Amino acid sequence: MAGDMAPQTQAAPAATAAEEPVLVFDRVSLSFGPQRVLDEISFQLRRGDTKILLGEAGAGKSVLLKLALGLLRPSSGRVLVLGQEVGTLSEDALFEMRRKIGIAFQESALFDSLSVRDNVGFRMLEEGSESDDAIEATVRKVLSFVELEAAIEKMPVELSGGMQHRVSIARALATQPEIMLYDSPTGGLDPVTATTIVELIMKLRDQNKVTSLLVTHRLQDGFLLATHVWEDGHLAPAPPEATHTSFLLLRDRKIFFDGSAHDLQHHPDPYVRSFLD
Amino acid sequence: MPEVDAATTGVGDAMSGWLKGLLQTLQEFTEQSARAFRNIVARPFYWGDTFLQMNLIGVGSLPIVVLTGFFTGAVMALQLSATLSTYGQIGRTGQLVSLSLVRELGPVLTSLMVAGRNAAGMASELGSMVVTEQIDAMRALGTDPSKKLVTPRLLATVSMMFFLTVISDFCGMLGGFVYSTVVIGLDPTQYWYSAIQILGMDDVVQGLIKPLVFGLIVALVGCYYGMNARGGTQGVGRATTQSVVAASVLIIVSDFVVSRLLMGFGG
Ligand SMILES: Nc1ncnc2c1ncn2[C@@H]1O[C@H](COP(=O)(O)OP(=O)(O)O)[C@@H](O)[C@H]1O
Ligand SMILES: [Mg+2]
Repeated sequence: MAGDMAPQTQAAPAATAAEEPVLVFDRVSLSFGPQRVLDEISFQLRRGDTKILLGEAGAGKSVLLKLALGLLRPSSGRVLVLGQEVGTLSEDALFEMRRKIGIAFQESALFDSLSVRDNVGFRMLEEGSESDDAIEATVRKVLSFVELEAAIEKMPVELSGGMQHRVSIARALATQPEIMLYDSPTGGLDPVTATTIVELIMKLRDQNKVTSLLVTHRLQDGFLLATHVWEDGHLAPAPPEATHTSFLLLRDRKIFFDGSAHDLQHHPDPYVRSFLD
Repeated sequence: MPEVDAATTGVGDAMSGWLKGLLQTLQEFTEQSARAFRNIVARPFYWGDTFLQMNLIGVGSLPIVVLTGFFTGAVMALQLSATLSTYGQIGRTGQLVSLSLVRELGPVLTSLMVAGRNAAGMASELGSMVVTEQIDAMRALGTDPSKKLVTPRLLATVSMMFFLTVISDFCGMLGGFVYSTVVIGLDPTQYWYSAIQILGMDDVVQGLIKPLVFGLIVALVGCYYGMNARGGTQGVGRATTQSVVAASVLIIVSDFVVSRLLMGFGG
C-alpha cells in the first residue's frame, strides 16, 4: 500500500504499520496564476514524527499546510495522507478524510458567532451522529486537555490570543486526528503562553503519538520540541532520537534544508546561520 | 515609433487583461452559483440557518420596505394626480399608482433596499469569515461552506423578497390612497376599486416573478463577493461596496430584460 511509494531504502528489515509514512509530499508544486509559490517539494512524515516548518513570511508555509488538507490542490505532484492521494479525491471524500487530520490555523479561525462549546463540538454537531450528551462529554474532555474547560460557555472574542489558540487546537482534536497541522500556534504570544502551547503539542506527540507538522517563527519552540519529551506531566530533556522531531526550511519556493536539530544548528550556510540568529 | 507601439500594446494588454478578468469572474460566479443551487437538494439541509436568514432578511428589512413603499405610493399619487388633472382624468390616479407599483416600483425598490442591506451584509459577513480563515476552518472540519452559508442565504432571500415585494406593493397603494383621499379628496371606494380592477393577470405575474429574479441576484452576488474577498479588512470593505453596486446594476438591467420578455409573451 504505502510501501511502494516510499522512495528511500528502509533500514528496518520489516516495515511495520507504524513505520509507513502517514503524510507524503511527492514533488509538489503550486502556482497561483503565473506566480509559483512552491516548487517540487518532497518530504514525508512517519507515524509519530514531528516536522518543524521554517521559512520567511510568504515562503509558502501556510499554503503547504493547506495542501496537506486538500484545501488547495497542487499544480503538479502528489500529496498523500494516510495512503490516499488528496489531489484526486472529490470534495465529499475530502470532507471525510479531514476527520483524520486536524489543523490549528494561524489566527485561530474560531467561528466568532459560536460559543467555545459549539466551536469545539462543531464537527460532531454537524455530523449529528452522536447524542448531545456524548458531544458534551467529548467537548469537555478536549477542553480539559488544553486546560480551558472553564471557558466552555464563552464566546471567542472574550478569550485572549493564547486561549483562542488553545481552543482552536481543542477543536481540531475533537475527532482524534492522527495528524495535526499547526500554523504558527505561538505567533504573537508572550513567551510563557507560547511555552504552554508548545507543551501541549509535545504532550500530543508523546502521549497520543500524533504526527505533526508545525509552522513556527519561533525557532526556540522548535528546539524545545526537538530536545525534550513530555514525561509524567512535565518537560524532560531527551536525546534527539526520542523526540522524532526534525526541521524543514523553505527558501525560494524550494526545500533548502531538511534534517535534524543538530544538523540545522551546525549548518555552514550563511542563510541558515542568519535564520538561526 | 517604439513609444507608440508600446502605448498601443499597453492599451491592448490592459483591455485583454480586463476582459480575461471579467470572463474569469463570470465563470467563477456561474460555478459557485450552480453549486449553491445543487445544494438545495443535497443533504444535510440547513433548516436552522435558513430560518435564521429568513428572519434576518425578512423581518429585518420590513421597516424600510414599509416606509419606502408607503412614501413611493404617496409621491406617485402626488405627481400623477397633478398631471392627470390637466387632462381631467384625476379619477385614474389609483389605477396608475397601482399599475406602476405592481409592475415596476414595488419589485425594483424593494430589491434595491434589500440589496443595500443584505447583499452588503452577506458580503461583509462571509468576507470576514474568509479573511480570518473561518471558511477554511469550516472546510477543514468537514462542512461545505456553500451548503451551510450560501444555500440558506439564497433560499431565504428569494422567498423573503417575494413577500417583501407584496407588502411593499400594498403599502404603496395605501400611501397613494392616503394622499388621494386626504389631500386630493378622491372617493375612497373608487380609488381602491380602480386600483385593483386595472390589474391584469399579466401585471400580477410580472410583479411576482421579478422579486424572485432580484432575490437570486442579491443573494448570489452578495455571497460571491463575500466568498471571494481577499486582502484583509480592506478587502472586506471593497467586497461589500462592490456587492451593492453589482447587485443594484444587475437588478436594474435584469428588470428591463424580464419586463421585455414577459411583455413579449403577453403579445
Ligand atoms: N489564495 C491565494 N491566492 C493567491 N496567492 C496566494 C494565496 N494564498 C497564498 N498566496 C501567496 O502564496 C505565498 C505564500 O503564502 P503563505 O503560505 O501564506 O506564506 P507563509 O509562509 O507566510 O505562511 C505568498 O506570496 C502569498 O501571497
Ligand atoms: Mg502563514
